[in-house]
Amino acid sequence: MSNLKVNIAGVEFKNPVITASGTFGFGREYDRFYNIEELGGICTKGLTIKPRLGNPPPRIAESCSGMLNSVGLQNPGVDRYLQTDDLYLAKRDLTVIANVAGSTLEDYIAIAEKMNSSHADMIELNISCPNVKEGGMAFGVLPKSVEEVTSAVKKACSDKPIITKLSPNVACIADNARAAESGGADAVSLINTLSGMAVDYKTRRPILFNNNGGMSGPCVKPVALKMVWDCYNAVKIPIIGLGGITSYTDVLEFMICGARAVQVGTHNFTEPCGARDIARDLAKYVEEHDMDINDIVGTLILNK
Amino acid sequence: MANLIDRTGVITLNRQIAKDIYKIVLQFDDFPQSIHGAQFAHVKLNDKAHVLRRPFCICDYNIADKTLTMCYAVVGKGTEILSKYPVGEKLKVMLPLGNGFVPDKNVKKIVLLGGGMGSAVLPAISRTNPELEYYTYLGFANKDKVALEEEMRALSKEITVATDDGSYGRKGFVTNVLAEDMERISPDLIFCCGPEVMYKALKKALAPFNVPIIVSLEARMGCGIGACLVCNCKVKRNGEEGYARACIDGPVFNLDEVVL
Repeated sequence: MSNLKVNIAGVEFKNPVITASGTFGFGREYDRFYNIEELGGICTKGLTIKPRLGNPPPRIAESCSGMLNSVGLQNPGVDRYLQTDDLYLAKRDLTVIANVAGSTLEDYIAIAEKMNSSHADMIELNISCPNVKEGGMAFGVLPKSVEEVTSAVKKACSDKPIITKLSPNVACIADNARAAESGGADAVSLINTLSGMAVDYKTRRPILFNNNGGMSGPCVKPVALKMVWDCYNAVKIPIIGLGGITSYTDVLEFMICGARAVQVGTHNFTEPCGARDIARDLAKYVEEHDMDINDIVGTLILNK
Repeated sequence: MANLIDRTGVITLNRQIAKDIYKIVLQFDDFPQSIHGAQFAHVKLNDKAHVLRRPFCICDYNIADKTLTMCYAVVGKGTEILSKYPVGEKLKVMLPLGNGFVPDKNVKKIVLLGGGMGSAVLPAISRTNPELEYYTYLGFANKDKVALEEEMRALSKEITVATDDGSYGRKGFVTNVLAEDMERISPDLIFCCGPEVMYKALKKALAPFNVPIIVSLEARMGCGIGACLVCNCKVKRNGEEGYARACIDGPVFNLDEVVL
């Protein structure tokens, strides 16, 4: 019998397709297009202890088969989330991952403590936002600090499995995956956006107000696939893969490289029903091949 | 709960109407039952290099015929590609998006003010509320850029075109041209769409007249439905500055609340 369900650190997802943080709000907007309960899960917009206004515009620029963003973690703050969107999502038959960010270790601990009382099924630790000076990126670069922040959050939020989201803008992402595992992470997700710049030749200025931004979209997929494979060979904890997924075949590629589930981000902008359609196409593929989706995880056959 | 649809339209016309400015008409099978003026359409290009949709204002529409008209300026690679699509090409379009412009009941006489490409938003406003009286002012850099004059003539009680260099119509910035006529027209409201510099000029030029000014803002967009927070514009509400999303809180705002 075919199976599309996956399990990450004891949390069940009805299919491996999760929407990526920052591209899907708290689900409400896309609920206007389709029933988001068709998704395996959603990952919320990054939350911080206090509300954040984010960066001045422009916050987005297109690149060939991709885009750059520098939103700068605009969000209503964790308290507001707990009073509103957390309750909205709790009523839904949907696995919810709450993405949290901070600028100091104390911030991470404080928000992790608050998340104990949320309805979220898992916490994704954003230590790799490239768009704010103190947006956790400082924690995401060196293995030592990846381990330190993961361990602190794990202690502060003992009720929920922790996913550490890894940055690709590092010396060796496999080392950081190992560090997250040592720190007690229940899973890792990768990749966050690649640091980049878009320039207007007429004004000789960067298009983004923030000058730099995080690049995402189909153009980053090969980088993400290799990093997922590298991490798969470095850690035992499950991996959630993301970076440029636009089709069910992309999902299969990520899973073959070692991902147990995937996140779909930029594609939501191109196709508002895109994540749902990927989940549907994947279901069809699994049925046609009468397979358990979990059986393909990490089955990459390297050339000699 | 689900009330938004990504629709597919077929191009029935896509041609240049002024220098670098195109008009495109799409025919749909499935069309919205109602549209407000100043709402927009989020258009997907048919190539994988362009992952972001293009937000274009709804220039005109016909619910019975299920047709949508948009006008766009060729400013980059995306719009250049769009300008080359032939009749018969299919495009995916999310519409109608944004809050749109819904005039208050007590508004009878409106000045529609368009600056350059911003003029493209005006026909749909008059189309949506045909019972009101429209005085239209269109401003362009020069004669080569003049567009939508005939369309707006049919939808207005009176129309005035101005060019910055005087090569067509009245000479000067259209905001100043309007200011000269304000006493005579005495409108209940001004609706303006144009570049940000125009809003600054308008605020100054119309300061003596104490008339509400509604504007439609433009921003680089991502999702188009309020989820991604990239199209934010700075607004001041209840004495506090913050960001509003152009795509869903806007694109229509009171000029008074927009931080320029």
